[in-house]
Amino acid sequence: MSDSLFNPKLTRRRFLQATGVAGAAGSIGLGSQLISVQKAQAEAPTTTGQTVVTKSFCHQCPARCGIDVYTTNGRIHAIYGTLDNPLSNGKLCPKGHYGVYLTYDADRIKGPMKRTNPKKGRNEDPKFVPISWDEALDIVAGRLNALREKGESHRFATLTGRGWGYSDVGLLTEFGKLYGTPNYNLGHSSMCSDASETVKHIMDGHHAYSAYDYANTNYLLVFGAGFLEAFRPFNPNMQKWGLMRSKSPKTKVTVVDVHLNTTGSSADRLLLVKPGRDGALALAMAHVILTEGLWDKHFVGDFVDGINRFKTGAAIPLTVNQEDVDAWKAAKAEAAAKKDAAAQKAAEEKVKMLAEIDKLKKAVKEAKGDAKAALEKKLAEALKKQDEADAKAKLIAEQRAMLEKDRKPEPVPVVGQPLFQEKWTHGLIEWWNIELKDRTPEWAEEISGVSAKDIITVAREFATTKPAVALFERGASAHTNGVYNGMAIHALNALTGNMFAKGGLRGYQMKTAWAKLPIKVEDYQDDYAKDGPWKKQPRIDMVKTKKWPLAKNMMQEIAINHLKGEPYKLDTAIIYMTGAVFSGPDCTKWEEMWREVFVIDTSPFPGETNRFADLILPDHTYLERLQIADTYPYEGYPISMIRTPAIKPLYDTKVFGDVIIEIGKRIKGPTAEYYKKIDNTENIIKWMCEGFKEKPGDNGVVDFETFKQKGVWYRKPYAYLQKDGVFYEWDGKGYNKILTAAEVKEKVMPTPTGKFELKVTELEHHADYVQERFGLPAERAPFPQWVEPRHGGNGDLHFVSPKLAGQAEGRSANLPHVTAMIQPVQGGKREVFLEIHPEAAAKRGIRDGDIVKIKNKIGEIRVRARVTHTTRPDTVVLPMIHGHWAQGRWAEAKDRLPSGSTNEVTENLSEPLSGLACYHSGLVSVERV
Amino acid sequence: MAKWGMVIDLEKCTGCQACTIACGMENSRLPGEHWQDVIFFQEGEYPNAEIKWFPRPCMHCENPSCVAVCPVRATYKAEDGQVLIDWERCIGCKYCMIACPYGVRFYTEEKATYGGPNMKDVFKSEDAHSWSPPWKMPQEDWKHGVGVQPHDVVSKCTFCFHRVSKAPKGTVDFDPQNPATREYTPACVVTCSPGARFFGDLSNPNSEVNRQIAYKNGVRLLDHLGNKPQVYYLTGEGGSVPATRSLKKI
Repeated sequence: MSDSLFNPKLTRRRFLQATGVAGAAGSIGLGSQLISVQKAQAEAPTTTGQTVVTKSFCHQCPARCGIDVYTTNGRIHAIYGTLDNPLSNGKLCPKGHYGVYLTYDADRIKGPMKRTNPKKGRNEDPKFVPISWDEALDIVAGRLNALREKGESHRFATLTGRGWGYSDVGLLTEFGKLYGTPNYNLGHSSMCSDASETVKHIMDGHHAYSAYDYANTNYLLVFGAGFLEAFRPFNPNMQKWGLMRSKSPKTKVTVVDVHLNTTGSSADRLLLVKPGRDGALALAMAHVILTEGLWDKHFVGDFVDGINRFKTGAAIPLTVNQEDVDAWKAAKAEAAAKKDAAAQKAAEEKVKMLAEIDKLKKAVKEAKGDAKAALEKKLAEALKKQDEADAKAKLIAEQRAMLEKDRKPEPVPVVGQPLFQEKWTHGLIEWWNIELKDRTPEWAEEISGVSAKDIITVAREFATTKPAVALFERGASAHTNGVYNGMAIHALNALTGNMFAKGGLRGYQMKTAWAKLPIKVEDYQDDYAKDGPWKKQPRIDMVKTKKWPLAKNMMQEIAINHLKGEPYKLDTAIIYMTGAVFSGPDCTKWEEMWREVFVIDTSPFPGETNRFADLILPDHTYLERLQIADTYPYEGYPISMIRTPAIKPLYDTKVFGDVIIEIGKRIKGPTAEYYKKIDNTENIIKWMCEGFKEKPGDNGVVDFETFKQKGVWYRKPYAYLQKDGVFYEWDGKGYNKILTAAEVKEKVMPTPTGKFELKVTELEHHADYVQERFGLPAERAPFPQWVEPRHGGNGDLHFVSPKLAGQAEGRSANLPHVTAMIQPVQGGKREVFLEIHPEAAAKRGIRDGDIVKIKNKIGEIRVRARVTHTTRPDTVVLPMIHGHWAQGRWAEAKDRLPSGSTNEVTENLSEPLSGLACYHSGLVSVERV
Repeated sequence: MAKWGMVIDLEKCTGCQACTIACGMENSRLPGEHWQDVIFFQEGEYPNAEIKWFPRPCMHCENPSCVAVCPVRATYKAEDGQVLIDWERCIGCKYCMIACPYGVRFYTEEKATYGGPNMKDVFKSEDAHSWSPPWKMPQEDWKHGVGVQPHDVVSKCTFCFHRVSKAPKGTVDFDPQNPATREYTPACVVTCSPGARFFGDLSNPNSEVNRQIAYKNGVRLLDHLGNKPQVYYLTGEGGSVPATRSLKKI
């Protein structure tokens, strides 16, 4: 037998026959033998069918990376980044590849269905039965028409998560105008990252996410953004990370976070801050930058006399007083006197030198022999020295004259004029006086737990390493003081002159050259739409009312408002790409609400929302769709992309945009006419691409067909640039056109002052609201400042629920391929762990791997503990991916921990200015089960 | 004849696991069957704790322990330097799994860790394959361990044999940014966002892989064992590889 073992010609089948052994595992003996018969047929390498590559874009985060979808025999088997796409550049993050699994998710919904069990609840089987699309759409339209007839059309709402642009969520605006509801698109952004948009909006005039020039930055200061895990656009960010960390000079990175993650571990420095205290750090850094004179004078400006008056604790007069003028005059006089004295000294020295020469000349005449030669040599040296001195004096005089020629007249301080001449910022001295002067690093150390030494070091590095970027996300902003935290951080970009700069915060997203549709909504609005009772109704989330005057969306308020009936109760709701039943703070409230509402879910997958659904109108999954979108803000220049179906839809599904159009066709009155004219989303997309004819993409995309071939349209570069305090506009060849202050206000910084507002006009206008919500005196309202965070829940540990690198939006919990690699830092293979510090664990008798209870006044969930040095002793960390109870067979696997959503222990608190839900502000207690 | 090798720059690696997922997709792997795993470990104490990691494909050793112990010569060193498994011959004895110092091998019948229904039951195979996912790769080459494997065999990273072996003769550098070589480049190298991975011919002194190893002091994992891996790590300032000790995976 030993011979045969090493006989390379022996096939496995023959080996098995010869030995009677069936696999060393021995468990599937017979099966193995049977299989090996068929194996012979698969011996030769084979490739079946022709592989087709289709252009699409990713669905797993807001970045929208261009993807190549590989399909063979009608089956998708691979997804890679598109090489000639400026976002993906041929690369993908882990999530980019999930599409193959999502498409073939074995739990997918196979067609429209209606509920037959009238009882609703977490544990109630909806008893769905399949229905036809016509029947389903008629049910929806029937309800909507009935509401309209009763004058209650405002009680119809659409709740949306990730929208892709005009071919889906964008359609809802028109639908709202035609049908008549203020609730046409209740967005999720307040449960996302609205605080960062609000900060940018009120300080530099852009209600948007920023574009950063990572490729050219030399310093990156990250506050609570999970740059290498959760910050968007993740894939391009990682591409730039590779560049930043290997270019010359290498980009230095400082990370501020509450626990150690891969971002903090990859950085040069990690500052472990107490949750919600990031703003204190940023204020102290600003304090250091000012007191040490490190601010960017080109962008910010300077004191008229160049004397730095930023001294800790000292208020600065806003205007020049007589003392300043006298001091300036005295300093000038002193300088002039010094100059005169120097000139006099030089003249005296020359006289002395000439006298010496005369003396030598005389001596030479009189001397003889060796002595004469020595004296002659001495004379020659003296003459040479004199010539050199003259030449040097002449050169200095010439150079001085040249400098004088170009010198601008020095500003003369005049009593009553601003002491600090601000250039592109607004309110610096007032900010210093009311807030910054006392915000020392030592003060911040007390508040934040980060040492004053580290704060000073980082402030100096940040201000002196140019260009630099300071960015923040929910770690800093998902707190009750989140906008004020964010304002303090964002101000650092202005103080150091990195706004709109190369290598800095580059700017904001430019728009794509889409063609406008040749149809006007106004022509199809009936009287009800124009002036029906719905017009007097606020949105159900109370946005833009006295309650939330500045917020864009307040999704987390909907359930509370509905349950109270204030302002009213919803009747019918369509849900698209969002699932507040799981992802909203204090999420169980939504279960109560959905019991009372006719719920129309559009997800092609099961989920918590669909357990409460009355009707399911399943969307295509993304690789089956034709869809367009604009980029997530990246480098500022416009990018748009298209999804071309890689396969025919696997099931009887319909793309969401077409569902809206089909419902529209069934609304009585002119609305139906409007939607019959539009007919479908493909028509819209084709029409919009007409805009590319006039403005072709850099990659040659000029219409719908070329767009489908390339998958992306883009036009470089970003239009504006700030350099040394001057704003330029791209003129087709270079940043050559200098912008006036009025043009900067119109095009680049559209704030009320046209400046970067350190004193925020919008908050001055809302000072009463700020006073009411924060208890701040009105005069303090407009400035970035320290506000003590209020913590939701109750308990002795801070609780944060971050997003992991492998976590896709919504659907990754039901993908076993994801679960098997999620939270790798803590060894996740099946579940996610609660990070708890050894001290905190010991105090509670918790050992590594124990099941623990996280609880507070909101609720309680169970999870397995991971005792680790990666988190603060006062903070526990649980990623938010798992804990689903209705998302599919894998998400709901038996004994999967955590037992519920992190939002079952997250109080529904909102930041008052942006409305952002305070996901990271909670307190909990943790105990062994 | 080439000698294929890989270089992984840990200074650029962000630990995102795109390589793991891309590999699983490209090669139709079961969930958790990470031919290209990323190994994470923690060191130190708060507040100066560290998280470290390194991606770990098969090392395709010059002196492969697995080949030496395979009783049926199923595992072998191929012409161009890859260590491959012939699924026609493999008897699933797992000797190789024990012999491999890098833990890169997987047995088909391993118990699933991910919870929920077993994917092999959900996507049951009607024939000799151990399962039949709808997204399975179109290539099948059991002699080289490519495709969905049969039951009771051991599998591992092939350096994407089905892609690399189709490259035109004489290819030295597999640059995923170059359209001419992109489709032949291993999946993990193609997708790596920060560009931390390089693949090419170690036998060519001018190759990019050799340049990277020389410029940035490439090291090999557990080098003292003498396996001479054909995968090199660049540790720079940012990363660290345990070159002289074995590590317990978390």
